[in-house]
Amino acid sequence: MRFVVRRVAFFVATLWAAITINFLIPRLMPGNAAIAMLGRYRGRINPAALHALEIAFGINTHQGLVSAYFSYLGNIVRGRFGTSLTFFPDAVMHEVLQALPWTLGLVGLTTILAFIAGTLIGLISAWRRGGMLDGVLPPIFVITSAFPYFWLALLAIWLFAIKLGWLPENGGYDVKTNVAWSWTFIADVIRHSILPAATILATSVGGWILTMRNNTISVLAEDYVRMARAKGLSSWRIMWTYAGRNAILPNLTGFAMSLGFVVSGAILVEFVFNYPGVGWMFLQSVENQDYALMQGLFLMITVAVLVAILAADIATAILDPRTRDSR
Amino acid sequence: MTTVTVEGHPGSEGPPVAEARRGFGIDLVRAIVRNKKALVGVALLVFFLVLALFPGQIAPDDGQAEIFQPGLGASWHHWFGTTAYGQDVLSQLIWGTRQSIVIAFAVGGLATAIAVIVGVSAAYLGGVADGVLSLVTDVILVIPIFPLIIVIAAYKKSAGLFTLIIVLGALGWSYGARQLRSQTLSLRTRDFLESARVRGERKLYIIVYEIIPTMTSLIVASFLGAALYAVLFAAGLQFIGLGDPNSQSWGTMLYWAENNEALGANMVLWAIMPGVCVALLGAAFALLNYAFDEISNPALRLRRLDKPPAPDRRDAAPLAPSSPENILEVRGLTVAYTSDDGPVIAVDGVDLEVARGEFLGIVGESGCGKSTLLYSITRLLGPPFSGEIVGGEVIFNGREIATLGERQLRHIRWREFSVVMQSAMNALNPVLTIEAQMRDACKAHSTMSSKEIADRSREVLRLVSIDPIHLKSYPHQLSGGMRQRAMIAMALLFTPDLVIMDEPTSALDVVAQRSLMAQIKELQRRLGFAVIFVTHDMSLVRHFSDRVLVMYAAQVSELGRTRQVFEKPLHPYTRALLDAYPSIHGPKVALRGIPGAPPNLGAPPAGCRFAPRCVHATARCQIAPSLLDVDGELVRCVLYEDAEVPAAAEARA
Repeated sequence: MRFVVRRVAFFVATLWAAITINFLIPRLMPGNAAIAMLGRYRGRINPAALHALEIAFGINTHQGLVSAYFSYLGNIVRGRFGTSLTFFPDAVMHEVLQALPWTLGLVGLTTILAFIAGTLIGLISAWRRGGMLDGVLPPIFVITSAFPYFWLALLAIWLFAIKLGWLPENGGYDVKTNVAWSWTFIADVIRHSILPAATILATSVGGWILTMRNNTISVLAEDYVRMARAKGLSSWRIMWTYAGRNAILPNLTGFAMSLGFVVSGAILVEFVFNYPGVGWMFLQSVENQDYALMQGLFLMITVAVLVAILAADIATAILDPRTRDSR
Repeated sequence: MTTVTVEGHPGSEGPPVAEARRGFGIDLVRAIVRNKKALVGVALLVFFLVLALFPGQIAPDDGQAEIFQPGLGASWHHWFGTTAYGQDVLSQLIWGTRQSIVIAFAVGGLATAIAVIVGVSAAYLGGVADGVLSLVTDVILVIPIFPLIIVIAAYKKSAGLFTLIIVLGALGWSYGARQLRSQTLSLRTRDFLESARVRGERKLYIIVYEIIPTMTSLIVASFLGAALYAVLFAAGLQFIGLGDPNSQSWGTMLYWAENNEALGANMVLWAIMPGVCVALLGAAFALLNYAFDEISNPALRLRRLDKPPAPDRRDAAPLAPSSPENILEVRGLTVAYTSDDGPVIAVDGVDLEVARGEFLGIVGESGCGKSTLLYSITRLLGPPFSGEIVGGEVIFNGREIATLGERQLRHIRWREFSVVMQSAMNALNPVLTIEAQMRDACKAHSTMSSKEIADRSREVLRLVSIDPIHLKSYPHQLSGGMRQRAMIAMALLFTPDLVIMDEPTSALDVVAQRSLMAQIKELQRRLGFAVIFVTHDMSLVRHFSDRVLVMYAAQVSELGRTRQVFEKPLHPYTRALLDAYPSIHGPKVALRGIPGAPPNLGAPPAGCRFAPRCVHATARCQIAPSLLDVDGELVRCVLYEDAEVPAAAEARA
């Protein structure tokens, strides 16, 4: 029970911190850029919506900081993130929900894939300590984990799209294809996702490999692994249920901790590929000085990271009986 | 052995002995020199540092001057071509190094300082302060920093060097703080801190002078991690145009290259080389970080023994046991470990025999090779003990198992001999129920049905007086005594011929210890298996074992019938051991410890290994004594070379 309470406190605190940061940043920045933005809204949206934006950015409010803060919290809780300037008159929430499936599909799937692949490779490489795999992979991945995502994306475009012409250069789908649930459209989406997905995969898998390898090596020195050997279990059984299952537990925590890094890289990959997801839209909103959209997306990214951490928590609880016990 | 000696490197010829806890400095330098990844990392870092310090001397041109023909390819004059504005790419790269280095070191320093302050004080203060600080750390850890910096940069229109350093530094400390906190927590109860507290040192003094120096490697790792992510994030931010577009940096170069479609327009190197630089500098930090991980966690380093001299023992000795009564015969068993200072012989030519149904106790101080002996007999050497059998043979049930393949060995394991370890908490798999761990063993060695397995599991639990309901329990749900019993039950699943026990009761309190030992003894009589039993506790040996083997410094110093050894100990070491333990039934005598400590097995004394601590030591002890037979008892001491029992021994008896 204590575990659950602590995690809930953590989620609430993180969410609250992100919302508060959102509230404070426009107010702390000198020469408030949002004033200019609001000027462009005037007369185009109804007074109530304008007022909500004014609260969000701390302009023209006769409210004190504290009451403005609570109005803002109230708006966020009710899902009112304001109106997007770029996609006027659509609400921010509407735009965010449009971009979200693309990001979930690309970044979400590749992150899960990278985690699974990295965990498996790390486990095997530690199990075959000093073998071929173990001799080659760790040094390589130490280096690739230091690659800037966006730079690798540029290289991939240059090589596979421009030089070889195998795959499309950018976008989420070909504008000439009909957007519908048809096989041609799905195939087109997959074709467009290969390069960005491969980029994210290549740069993020190394981190999981290294941590899983190191965890496994520590676990292999544990008494229960020695005991499993003494019992004469098959190597397969020892590797999975004795070494692997224990080594993955800290890796799940590591997953939660490295996620911010992956998301940051993914934003840049979407930017480089003009991929119509949250990251691309986020940077578009920065370029268009669409602050309402930008801040809505920032919150969305934070929530996405929290959801992934929650998933890791649940997986930990399933795999580790010690966390299940309400102690 | 991969001992690399680099001559002339500062510190590399420092003293080989590690200073207990403070002196990480010299060891650290030594370790870096030995680690290839660290060397490459240092070389890359030094390279970029030189570029950053002396760009004016090194760069062929001014990086910003638009003085050349735009869009030139690679040539002798322009190694990496020119930009679309007619700047020399190589010069731009060299001038751009400075900013990345400044960001890396400034952010690394700032983040590490915060991490140390937050992490150490959270752990040291504990209570509410710890709760709050840990929560803040966790929250900062998951707030997506990069998007946040983008938001801030968007309001400021651009993020200059100063903004980058402050924001990255203020947000990049949480990972390090977490690690430092848990490290401090594990240090908190260590002796040296307790003693500092007892001395009445102030908290701040303890933190600064006692705790922080022990965490050098973690602090360095925290610095490297923050530096790595600062370099990558800064480049990313500049690349999307949120940095200062007039600054000289790799990220800004990439921004302009991308804006001019350098990749499509045949100015490929303009777009590639800044990324290569970012990647190389990043790799330098990542490699160093990884190497430090290896240095601070020795388990990650792979050590290999020099191949042992080819064993020709198979032709030398017959396989059959000398007596059909013996379940186990060990002859000349020698085990070596690798260390940074060469091989260490942890078991040196040990001979021993165990008869069917016999209870053999092995005693000796810590570090005398008792556990190594057990794990080499059971062929369980491996991490964390990187030991290897380099000589001798182990004949078990008529088979030579020291050289048996792992596959054949598996068939004998658990059916014919099983193992009980010191702490069941560590020896039972924490994520499987007791039932699952019993089922594992049964499935590996039999074709028993699920029902048969369940029945047998219940049966063995009852043998050790545990309610079978606990089959469904996980190890952490049982009490210490129950866990230990459950492990013994597991060892009896197939009623093996030999059960090897490594201090099976030392984790328990005295009362639980006694009752468990009595139960083991009872089961042994009933089921007839032989036991090899390692312990520190002389009184347990006295009451339960048939024969005693006393080990000192990797060798057998005495081996004989329990009664004889306890009543008439021959070896001065055995006598010293007995004097160091209280006797329950005997008269009250003053307990005497044994002055000194067992020798370093890497460089044992030349003659008798106990001589430096022995009250009877004479000049004759300079020559290594051999094992002598005195009235059926074996003893390794020159006192008995004339096969006569000296007065001292008789006086005590």
